[in-house]
Amino acid sequence: MSAEEFEPNIVAFLCNWCSYAGADLAGTSRTQYLPNVKIIRVMCSGRVNPLFLVNALQQGADGVLISGCHPGDCHYMEGNYYARRRYTLMHKLLEHVGVDPGRVNMSWVSASEGAKFKDVVEDTVTKAKEAGPMEQFRRRRINW
Amino acid sequence: MVDESKLREKAAEVLAREDVRRLIGWKRGTYGFEAAPCVIKDASEAEALIFDPTCVQNPASFITLEEKKPVPRGQEADTRKIAVMVKGCDSRAIVQQLVEKAYDRDHVIVLGIPCLGVIDRRKAAALFGDVASQVSAKVDAEKVAVDVGGDVKTVDRKDILMDKCLRCRYPNPLVYDELLADEVEKWAGDEFADVGEFEGQSPEEKWAFWEEQFSKCIRCYSCRNVCPMCYCVECVVTKLQPQWTRRATDISENTVYHIQRAWHLAGRCIECMECQRVCPVDIPIMTLNRKLTRDVKEMFEYEPGVDVEAQPLLASYNPQDPEDFIM
Repeated sequence: MSAEEFEPNIVAFLCNWCSYAGADLAGTSRTQYLPNVKIIRVMCSGRVNPLFLVNALQQGADGVLISGCHPGDCHYMEGNYYARRRYTLMHKLLEHVGVDPGRVNMSWVSASEGAKFKDVVEDTVTKAKEAGPMEQFRRRRINW
Repeated sequence: MVDESKLREKAAEVLAREDVRRLIGWKRGTYGFEAAPCVIKDASEAEALIFDPTCVQNPASFITLEEKKPVPRGQEADTRKIAVMVKGCDSRAIVQQLVEKAYDRDHVIVLGIPCLGVIDRRKAAALFGDVASQVSAKVDAEKVAVDVGGDVKTVDRKDILMDKCLRCRYPNPLVYDELLADEVEKWAGDEFADVGEFEGQSPEEKWAFWEEQFSKCIRCYSCRNVCPMCYCVECVVTKLQPQWTRRATDISENTVYHIQRAWHLAGRCIECMECQRVCPVDIPIMTLNRKLTRDVKEMFEYEPGVDVEAQPLLASYNPQDPEDFIM
């Protein structure tokens, strides 16, 4: 498969209060954003267990995006601060294991930033395309 | 060095107390370069206790192993204390367990032992081969004198001591009720040179290294069982619902297991190196842990197992935390 043909699978964990509304705004305002991204709505970016991310990479995602409210704007006051600590570290750990750093992405998108959501998705897809298909620890079906 | 007769005397004195249930320490192993951890309940058994550079095990791992069974109606729970002997690095495990409120400070009596380093059995095997007799050793600031069945040989520190000892920052216990010997002087610093060196590689080189290492893993979970910080009653890797990682030993599940294990020690690992010591297939597990330790120190200025009053790293935050990777 050549680099041009490769369409990465992106799993996006969006927080209900900001980023999901931001993605919704991008939709209602007819902004075209790339269809590679599969959105999973969570109540807060702090709800995303780091193992979600590892399991997504294991089960077929080529890139992961976690998006939440801007620092200080969390609906639950501090959820995104915890998430920020976690994913900064998780990003470093995965990088150390040899996962391309472009596969793990995080962003702050508020409910009014439909245009920013489009940019974030484009950026994530570009990085995942550069990294190529995720083959390192993809779970393979056993062929008996 | 510790005077062993004083150590036994002190242990017997502590065990004789009404409010002490048991004592965790070390006794001479049956063979080879490692002592055996032991749990004693009676002051008369204190004669078996030793401390020398063969005492590598971390006794703090055993404190949380005790099963807390429900107490039948009409009976009182046993609230007697546990006495534990610790080296400098082991005491950090106790500090971190206290930070996480695994137990109360007055649940344990900590007998601290300043330590000059312990023997790495892999390095020792390279020097002495397989040894079937009992080994004792003495260490000072320059040399290690190893006594293999009566035959004494002096070895350079760096040839036989564990890597963690060569870069030890806390040779003296950080928390103790009693110190069994005089404090020793710190001899090294830690620049995390090994982490920096590994980081210089490209993602492909890193993965090639880890693919080989992780594919060796037989998932015996020794690294988890021996870890003083892995004391969850129900561990995420053995949980079936939801099943985060399958039990197959293929590269995918092994990688996820090791990422999980390292992740769960982020900001908690106290670098006692027990995980790497017990690994039956010699996976350099500490490479992952040390990477996180270094990053936690650099990014959040946090060091686990040093301050009893500290907040657990991932259960606290600072609005000024770095966020350079966030778009």
